Amino acid sequence: MMSTSLKPVRGRAWLFGDNVDTDQIIQGRYLTLLDYSEMAKHAFEIPRPEFSRNVRKNDIVVAGNNFGGGSSREEAPRVLSQLGVGCVLAQSFARLFYRNAINIGLPVLMIPNVTHSVNDGMTLDVNIIKSAVIIKETGETLSGQPLSRMVLDILQAGGAVAWFRKVKESRK
Amino acid sequence: MLATHTEKGKASAGEIVDASIDLLMVHEVLGSRIIPILKEMGVKKIWDPTKVLVVNDHWAPASDTQSAEIHIRNRQFVKEQGITHFCDVNCGICHQVLPEMGLVKPGDLVIGSDSHSTTYGAFNAFSTGLAATDSALILATGKCWFRVPESMKIRIKGQLPEMVMSKDLILKIVSDLGVNGANYRSIEFHGPTVESMSVASRMTMCNMTVEAGAKCGLMMANDAVKEWVTTRNPSAQWTPVAPDKDAHYVADIDIDLDAEPLDPIVALPHSPANGKPVSEVEGLHVDQAFIGSCTNGRLEDLEIAARILKGRKVHQDVRLIITPASQETYVDALRAGYIDTFLSAGAVFTNSTCGACIGGHLGVLGPGEICISSTNRNFRGRMGHPDSKVYLASPATVAATAVKGVITDPRRLI
Repeated sequence: MMSTSLKPVRGRAWLFGDNVDTDQIIQGRYLTLLDYSEMAKHAFEIPRPEFSRNVRKNDIVVAGNNFGGGSSREEAPRVLSQLGVGCVLAQSFARLFYRNAINIGLPVLMIPNVTHSVNDGMTLDVNIIKSAVIIKETGETLSGQPLSRMVLDILQAGGAVAWFRKVKESRK
Repeated sequence: MLATHTEKGKASAGEIVDASIDLLMVHEVLGSRIIPILKEMGVKKIWDPTKVLVVNDHWAPASDTQSAEIHIRNRQFVKEQGITHFCDVNCGICHQVLPEMGLVKPGDLVIGSDSHSTTYGAFNAFSTGLAATDSALILATGKCWFRVPESMKIRIKGQLPEMVMSKDLILKIVSDLGVNGANYRSIEFHGPTVESMSVASRMTMCNMTVEAGAKCGLMMANDAVKEWVTTRNPSAQWTPVAPDKDAHYVADIDIDLDAEPLDPIVALPHSPANGKPVSEVEGLHVDQAFIGSCTNGRLEDLEIAARILKGRKVHQDVRLIITPASQETYVDALRAGYIDTFLSAGAVFTNSTCGACIGGHLGVLGPGEICISSTNRNFRGRMGHPDSKVYLASPATVAATAVKGVITDPRRLI
């Protein structure tokens, strides 16, 4: 089945630089919090302490190279999705963050030079399936390599757990 | 190596394979995240309770009521599922206790719910870190998908000078590669230096390959590894794995330590890839010195620290905290007299835990504090307050710094 129901995302950009590591997304000291809504209050606490208060549903995290390096903690993409972040665009991702984001159903797109074209607060229209971004303020279009079929299937299902259940059901 | 764990038995770089896991290690993330996911998945029984190791190590013993609750969940899960291998808060750090228990051998595919699971590459195993969802899927099925990584080859020859450790070497390599220089790739270490290295020194190097973004770090099985595995797991059958003769590498790096002697390296805040020769930061005041973690809390690390601290005192403006990598290390250090040396010098010696390394407990940094640490990461806020700073170094450099109160080349204290 083609993943046609992955809706486009329209939201405001939150701009970050290169090498945003997992402790900047969510510090290790909050990992024992069992409630994600409590934990999410501390997302990006070090680089942008206002983030969790001001982020709105479908806002978009935009970053430079190697976003999410360091720990394997799945809590990093999870707190972003908890706060309603619609997708993450970066020039490149650390492999663990990338895999974890897809596993929990948070779309992540590699868009070359994205931080050169996007300013903080700009409104972006993102087509997840086509891996394409339109910047409302400038009209500029950016694009990256589309996600693989398997990754789109996982995202469409809502994450690896839902995908696993779907695959299991279909084999019955 | 991944190929031998697939049905097809073959695989090449870039390919996605479905591989069978030999061992899954999970720590507190089991109780906090994996168990809820298993419930959501409707998994009642895990795939194989003999192929799972559960460790309570990050906040051991519990540092607050939340970590205590996570530990309770882990203990209950181990009982309910009949899991064979369990380490409660009295064992030590997962990456140290797993090899101590003989649970890794050459050729294995080992996954851990922790990014430093690359450590087992020192034992000629393919090992990498994944997170909660992947761990839950492995617990349910025993399988996991991987993209076969491209390999980089690093050939090292020559001697490490006195007081210069494998930590200095890997800090130099990570700094040369950059924090994502090996992203999605595996790093293979070859050459006589690695061939003659102790198990502990090899573990330090593979441990930190993830700081360059690597999926895994791999070494050939040397005599020390063969002896380790034979002693720790005498009944196990295994065959060392070597790269294909025509193996393709995306990068080929040669390091000659005799031609270019290595200095002690210190990684400046806030990146492990920010390594500089110690001479560039000598004289900088520190508040705390920490020796411990899965990177450098093993017996040889405590031995070199004890050698430096013997008959000396920790500087009055510094606290030195030493946390052994495991309870076994603790006992060995006790018998060797190192703990006596540390306490006489005025150090704090703690039980084994991840503790201060993750800003968990037993050495959390306050605002503006500076720590020199034998751990693996110096991200902003990693060991405590966002305004604290961490300098990464070898246990020798940390011990010398603790004595002098300022960052010090350990060769000055020979």
